[in-house]
Amino acid sequence: MQLKETIGYKTIVTWMAADGRQPFAFQEEAWQYILEGRSGLVNAPTGCGKTFSVFLGAVIDFINRHPDDYRTRGGNGLQLLWISPLRALAKDIGRAMEEVLAGLGMRWQVGTRNGDTDPAERARQKRKMPEVLIITPESLHLLLAQKNYPEVFKVLKVVAVDEWHELLGSKRGVQVELALARILGTRGGSGVSIIGISATIGNLEQAGEVLLASMHRGEGGFIVRAVIHKPIEVESIFPDEIEKYPWSGHLGLKLIHKVIPIIMSSRTTLIFINTRGMSETWYQSLLNICPDLAGAIALHHGSIDMELRTWVEEALHEGKLKAVVCTASLDLGVDFRPVETVIQVGSPKGVARFLQRAGRSGHQPGQVSKIWFLPTHSLELMEAAALKSAMQEGLIESREPMLLSFDVLIQFLSTLAISDGFYADELFRELKQTYCYSEMTEEEWREILHFITEGGEALHQYDEYRKVELMEGGLYKINSRRVAMRHRLHIGTIVSEPMLKVRWVSGGYVGVIEEYFISRMEPGETFTLAGRNLELVMIKDMTVLVRKSNARKSRVPSWNGGRMPLSANLGMMLRRKLDEAGLMLRAMLEGEEPVVDIELRVLQPLFELQAALSYMPRENELLIEQIETRDGYHLFVYPFEGRLVHEAMAALLAYRMSRITPISFSFAMNDYGFELLSDQPIPLDDANVYELFSPDNLTADIQRSVNSAEMARRKFRDIAVIGGLIFQGYPGEYAKARHLQSSAGLLFNVFAEYDPNNLLIRQAYNEVMEQQMEEQRLRNMLERVSRGQMVLRWPKQLTPFCFPLKVDSMREDLSSEKLEDRVRRMQAQLR
Amino acid sequence: MQPAFPYRLRGQQLWLSPDRCVYWEEEQSLILSDLHFGKTGHFRKAGIAVPQSVYREDLLRLLCQIQYFRPRRLLVVGDLFHSRENKELALFLKWRDDFPDLGIHLIQGNHDILHESWYAKAAIELSRETLQVGPFSFVHDIEDVQPGEDAQLGKDLAARGDLAAGEDVSPAGGSYYFSGHLHPGIRLRGMGKQSLQFPCFYFGSDYAVLPAFGRWTGTVSIDPAPKDNVFAILPGIMQIQ
Repeated sequence: MQLKETIGYKTIVTWMAADGRQPFAFQEEAWQYILEGRSGLVNAPTGCGKTFSVFLGAVIDFINRHPDDYRTRGGNGLQLLWISPLRALAKDIGRAMEEVLAGLGMRWQVGTRNGDTDPAERARQKRKMPEVLIITPESLHLLLAQKNYPEVFKVLKVVAVDEWHELLGSKRGVQVELALARILGTRGGSGVSIIGISATIGNLEQAGEVLLASMHRGEGGFIVRAVIHKPIEVESIFPDEIEKYPWSGHLGLKLIHKVIPIIMSSRTTLIFINTRGMSETWYQSLLNICPDLAGAIALHHGSIDMELRTWVEEALHEGKLKAVVCTASLDLGVDFRPVETVIQVGSPKGVARFLQRAGRSGHQPGQVSKIWFLPTHSLELMEAAALKSAMQEGLIESREPMLLSFDVLIQFLSTLAISDGFYADELFRELKQTYCYSEMTEEEWREILHFITEGGEALHQYDEYRKVELMEGGLYKINSRRVAMRHRLHIGTIVSEPMLKVRWVSGGYVGVIEEYFISRMEPGETFTLAGRNLELVMIKDMTVLVRKSNARKSRVPSWNGGRMPLSANLGMMLRRKLDEAGLMLRAMLEGEEPVVDIELRVLQPLFELQAALSYMPRENELLIEQIETRDGYHLFVYPFEGRLVHEAMAALLAYRMSRITPISFSFAMNDYGFELLSDQPIPLDDANVYELFSPDNLTADIQRSVNSAEMARRKFRDIAVIGGLIFQGYPGEYAKARHLQSSAGLLFNVFAEYDPNNLLIRQAYNEVMEQQMEEQRLRNMLERVSRGQMVLRWPKQLTPFCFPLKVDSMREDLSSEKLEDRVRRMQAQLR
Repeated sequence: MQPAFPYRLRGQQLWLSPDRCVYWEEEQSLILSDLHFGKTGHFRKAGIAVPQSVYREDLLRLLCQIQYFRPRRLLVVGDLFHSRENKELALFLKWRDDFPDLGIHLIQGNHDILHESWYAKAAIELSRETLQVGPFSFVHDIEDVQPGEDAQLGKDLAARGDLAAGEDVSPAGGSYYFSGHLHPGIRLRGMGKQSLQFPCFYFGSDYAVLPAFGRWTGTVSIDPAPKDNVFAILPGIMQIQ
């Protein structure tokens, strides 16, 4: 069927023309595929009509199928399922769709379904599904937990997965894979098009494969690319004087006065800050140094109450705000047209994220996206130079899909067991078609079934384990209403720290705060949230009651949320920039004037000090510094591979050295390097350094290093919650559930000791190896290092490179000594 | 099995077992706390698949302690059971039948919420209040000891914020308390920012806090005063101070 000859197309084009618009080429391309019933990916950035590239396709298809009465037909059943990662997006997308439908005079209904949808609306949807349903992955799974859910998908034509690049690589992405497999399963594997909408990522083809894995073979997915070139201009904000001993965080605020003129000279500015805690501080500081901004700036992050956030977003749309201090909470979603300028404070950690943020500005056609980079310590200026080069070369990160996430599968099986139940063989075949579980063995499948029905290891006659039951005829089903209810509350894969709501004594919510932070505060003390100083009055029923405070001093909460590590691409570019900086110094010594990035030129004094005290490594060199201080013996290594790989590297190195002699270390790492600290001299020198960094026996050595258990313990928390081992309690029923509460750390110990082969424990270790340590990245790094040169230095004092590690760090332990010896020595030292 | 550690207190001979209990020689009593039997069953009944072998091995460990010390009775300072009755407790009853001559005296803890008749069936003597035996008193939570009930301890309790402050109170007079509830652990720090945490026995001037016997229990870090005695379980017993 040729798109342009169809009545649907003509109707849409006519309608658009009335507003003086016409379709983009990539939209027409996507519509053609939708008419053909094909599946694939639309690769387009936010704000260029990607929503219409799929939505209008579904409308055209409907008009073509009902040319005579497409306007008057109502109650057609679900035609388009729109999966979106953010519930905040649902409203805007829904509104845009409704405008179109009204313009066309169609009777299609657009519904949304997410955590905010009220029960009455859900019940209405159950009776009569709207034609378009905008849904989050979690709510989609809740839909699958309803009896007779296959009815919902009976006439479904198109499933759109919006922001697929964000979902891919997370367990929410796995939830989407599972739901798609099941929806296709209810339709016998055909008759539905699946269309992902994704920004540019390094592995776009693979992203398509993952999304469409459950489609019947032979139907290769299409990729439609929106070719839109928007120039991006990056400019660094320089400190007046370069600090030679950088440490993170503090420099950012020192530069805040340089931000004011930028805010003043553009219509609206977004200021991206990496952590929620820092964004609170920034918001306050901006007001302190420029009180005129009061009322014209706002704060936006994930722990601020939804209503306040929505207000900020509306005000942004309307151009009422001069600036918004925000976190990744504004990374996604619809565009705010008034935004002219973006400021990135601190490392964006990756090229893709930086590009996405830059793209938040300058939406008027022909405009340039302008992004300022503001370093939080001087060395970070190197990243601006690296980002510029990476953008030029199009080095955009990949998103690696998750594999064999048994926790998500266990949750999914319980979900299906609540609604219509499942048969093992049938479902196994369906799961094997997904990308995530394609490698699952029959044995693993049996283990999972055993786990959900028998609860693993048990003393049979004394056991009352009850969850999924195997019925006569082979149907797996949850029959207990209590278990079912608890499971419904539990569906989802986003695991957050225990949070408490913060509410005014007089009523109205401010936001949420981590229990850990608030539990260390006394009534009468003040803290900052949503840009306000709040006095803690009391904690009651899982709610923190506060009143306004005029106190000068106030504590800024820290949120323990996951910190992103530096991406491999950016790390590679940083090593290259360091190499260029070294060359620059050498050239200048010879009286030349090399052409380098301005950032490197500004950092010259720091590099000179580094070279004088220690060494400036070339691209193929790995610098290792050993320094003795009052704290003990330090070993600093700078691979520029991101915090998580460094953690693994530190554990590996510590383990290998501990085989030489009994020794204990504590670790510290940041995105540039890591530190091992010991109370004894560290046995590493030119004679054994290549052996210690060898890629041989990597996997075995990492698994043997004590640290992998520690890292697995941290991973286990999420897995235990997703897999249903940690019950977080009913909303508002805190006390009742107390006898069922257990900490993840404790559960990990119990499993590791009493059921070490448990599937979920194994998964925790796998996640550590594959995602956290990024074993492949670690291996690549070791291979790179073993081909290059190791440069050992013994500086007499701390160097510019090691200082940030020394000052802000996160520590882990590793020891091969006998516990008793170690404790005795620790005691001796304390005296 | 790791050897027990001898410790003299108020003229009595105690043996601190690395299996998280204390043998009191003069009274031939095994003192323990926070066993939380039935916890795995409670979770499993709710569809949370915790390995039940933790419980089996806790029972087995208790059996080994009884065979080793040959006590006349167990003095349990609370939280012998985790919650309401479940099938796992039937296993306890069966286990109990194997020791008809062993007395079990339970000082009720906040988790001990079974019906009185159940304790009677299990031949467990239940004290709702503090129990006094010779120079020692037994209570679940030391915070529950009312100031004035014991003048010396009252002063001590008033003086401390938690276990930390440790005001100097003379050891003369008053009963010495054995308590549980807290699941105490001790954190040790060394150079190179090293730190380790172990479950421990805490002996202050007027009261002791025992480690939790059950293995599916966490620890809460305590901050003892310099003159207090603290024994970490490494797994062997080691006096920290």
